Amino acid sequence: MRRHARTLITIAILVLVSVATLGVQKIEIGNFQRGGDTILGLSLGLELQGGSHLVYQALDPVTKEPFQPAGDGKEMDALKRSIERRVAAAGLGEPIIQILGENRLLIQMPGVEDPERAKSIIGETAQLEFKHRRLGVPRDLDEIGDGDIVSVTAGLFPTEDEAEEATEPEEEATPTAGTEESTGSEEETGATEEADGPPVIMVEFTESAAETFAEIVDRLVASLSITQEVGSSRPPPPSTLEVSITGETNYRTALLGIQIQRIGTTTSFAFPFNPGTGEPPTVKQAAEMLGDDPQIEFVELQGFVDEDIGLTGDDLAVAYPGTHSVSQQPIVTVVFKDRGTRIFGELTGQIAGSDSDEIAIFLDDEQLISPRVTGVITAGTATIEGDFTIERVRDLALLLESGRLPLPIELIRERNVDAILGADSLRKSLIAGIVGLALVLTFMVLYYRLPGTIAAAALFIYAALVLATLKILPGSFTTLNLSGVAALILSIGMAVDANILIFERMKDELRGGRTLLSAINIGFNRAWPAIRDGNVSTLITCGVLFWFSEQLGETVLQGFAVTLAIGVAWSMFSAITVSRTLLRVMASTGASRRLGLFLPVGEVRASREPRAEGGRG
Amino acid sequence: MDFARKRGWFFLVSLVAIVPGVVFFILAPGLKTGIDFTGGTTLNLQFAQRVEQEALRLQVEEIGYTDATIQQLGDDSFFIRTPELSDPERQELIDVLQANLSPDGVEVLSADLVSPVVASETVTNALWAVLAAAVLIFIYIWWAFRNVPSPFRYGTAAIAALVHDTVIVIGVFAILGELLDIEVNTFFLFAIVTVIGYSVNDTIVVFDKVRENVLLYPNRDFNEVVNLSISETMGRSLNTSLTLLFTLLALLLFGGSTIRTFLLVLVVGVVAGTYSSIGIASQVLVAWESGDFGRVWRRMTFRSAA
Repeated sequence: MRRHARTLITIAILVLVSVATLGVQKIEIGNFQRGGDTILGLSLGLELQGGSHLVYQALDPVTKEPFQPAGDGKEMDALKRSIERRVAAAGLGEPIIQILGENRLLIQMPGVEDPERAKSIIGETAQLEFKHRRLGVPRDLDEIGDGDIVSVTAGLFPTEDEAEEATEPEEEATPTAGTEESTGSEEETGATEEADGPPVIMVEFTESAAETFAEIVDRLVASLSITQEVGSSRPPPPSTLEVSITGETNYRTALLGIQIQRIGTTTSFAFPFNPGTGEPPTVKQAAEMLGDDPQIEFVELQGFVDEDIGLTGDDLAVAYPGTHSVSQQPIVTVVFKDRGTRIFGELTGQIAGSDSDEIAIFLDDEQLISPRVTGVITAGTATIEGDFTIERVRDLALLLESGRLPLPIELIRERNVDAILGADSLRKSLIAGIVGLALVLTFMVLYYRLPGTIAAAALFIYAALVLATLKILPGSFTTLNLSGVAALILSIGMAVDANILIFERMKDELRGGRTLLSAINIGFNRAWPAIRDGNVSTLITCGVLFWFSEQLGETVLQGFAVTLAIGVAWSMFSAITVSRTLLRVMASTGASRRLGLFLPVGEVRASREPRAEGGRG
Repeated sequence: MDFARKRGWFFLVSLVAIVPGVVFFILAPGLKTGIDFTGGTTLNLQFAQRVEQEALRLQVEEIGYTDATIQQLGDDSFFIRTPELSDPERQELIDVLQANLSPDGVEVLSADLVSPVVASETVTNALWAVLAAAVLIFIYIWWAFRNVPSPFRYGTAAIAALVHDTVIVIGVFAILGELLDIEVNTFFLFAIVTVIGYSVNDTIVVFDKVRENVLLYPNRDFNEVVNLSISETMGRSLNTSLTLLFTLLALLLFGGSTIRTFLLVLVVGVVAGTYSSIGIASQVLVAWESGDFGRVWRRMTFRSAA
């Protein structure tokens, strides 16, 4: 008994852990989460449990209208594969993905715990782009030449009344918000006097040039809001308009979009005049500075220009979540493939140390960060920061690694769905399976007596170990589908078979007149080569199936192979360690004196023939 | 019992079991592939009356779509996958369902063509994987039996039994496909791989006994040794396969209708696998040892020459 104490304790611990694992529906220890609302909290496939039924509409990437496939429908296939990869990588179980009609996808997913996360993993385009961002890039405004400018004058910004006078009365004047310099009570009260309010410079364009100029102003204003949207710690500067006036005194200034106002709907534009030295100038001073024939020139200084460098998520080799070493913010670290590493290295080499160059990183056209490059990076890694949670960086890394969706998609129908094999049909099968198994156990107990009982116990232990292993192991391989059940039936069969083999050998030895203990030992030793070879052959099959599926991306076969391998491994353990130890323990107790417990009825006495001929049973 | 002397009969029985299937397989040609591999039509139907899933399944099967899958959606509509239906076929199906299940009306929420769930390459890929596995198993058995004379033969004989069982199962389904419209789906694929695992395991148990007895009685005739080994393992073989068959039959008779094909493959496979260990694997060893293959070869070439 004491000899087996250690083995018994090991078995007991394993069984306790397994039973606890299966007993607790949902296991959550820190980041480790397993289980759910299914039977024993096992992760079941769609064949065995219901889930979500999602229909997605593929969209044209440009127009966002329903996608119209041209020709062979390769795009939909690619879309399907991308989503398959994602769902597999996220461990969302084994979904069924089918192309529905021409441009829709049907996705059925088994029992999803968190439908929102599942949908975000399926639906996100995850198009990652790296761009070379140049700051303050001048652009000559060739479209506005000398001939386009009618006059340049100094004055006060016209009040609304004046503006309306100058235009058709029903049209509204451009709101004056933002032009702080030209508004204010003092101006409103003394607009018609020879006032000393802040002067503006008014530029009158030809009609066509006025429209062009208005567009430029709109663009400048738009650049301000882009700056605000990005909202990161260091936003890119907005675009400005550089104005240089050659008159009596030369004047240069840089204007934001909101500082330029159109006067009503006229072809004139006004912007504040502020040479910025000492006292604010009067209108008169301004006019003097301009002189009789001032020349004016405009240059648009773009806040930033993003240049495509052909570096996208497709160039990624690996992406993994982490935290920033300094800020402790969640980040995603990406490692480029060869081509990406080369492009990234070249770019960083080009702009390292430059204050006017950055690398802008976009995800689905949304800018994440724009780091300045302090040194050349040739190792091919980059980190992506943003306003992320830890959960989000984990999913992001996964999405980036599994590749972007070739087409954007939109969820158009969402329903719950029951198992493919039918909830009613499955219930029947489960009951039938339990009855069948009970018959087998009864047979083993009746035919093999005490050893049969022990084998039955070993089978229960075996079942607990296999199911607990399936529950604990991560990934979609251990999602139990009908194929997994097939693997389990085979491995249970092999576990029963191993026990039967051992008992038959043991009976041979008992008939040969050996003592119980030595019959047990010899029986096990004789049966071992057959058990070993049979199981090794099966493990070889599992290995080959798994390797092949890995190469070909056939996840369905992989699940089968993994489940079978787990089943076979534990079946060997159950037959060799559990059954043998339990039998030996029994043999060392009083049971050993009653051979009838070990031999089928009627064979106890008739057991003195030579071994080689005693092989009927 | 002298199994070895009756090896001609064993081979004949196997031949009788194999030939019709192969004929059907060639003439059909191939197996009737199910919607998992071919894709088909999906219908989302809303019945005016309450309809039981099992009743709907029976109706759809009766019309002849035995391979259809039927799922209930959260809004009490049904999602049905069938083989590709033409417009009249679709209308007929809906009419029948309306007449028998819901006279108040059936609303078709959507009807679409769908792509296969599993690419047809999967079958080819699985076939290659099985082939590669067979080669490795052959090498393993060759190695595991290195202590007995001609270990090469044991590997070959085990693979012969494996091929025998696979061919029988596929043949049976070629026949069932023609006669009863039973289609093969992904389940079939897994069931076949399972059968192969069982077949090899069962063969190895008999061979293990042969290995032991050959070393134990080096002077006995090989036929005798094989006979003895088969007798000695017979009890175990019957017990194992009968327990497995019990469970499978219980499932087949009392379980749900949706996994019948799957179970049928396993039942056929288990019977073939048990039989082939005795009737094929062991007899190939005997026939090889006694030079049968050379004799048959010489007779055939002699005849064709004459």
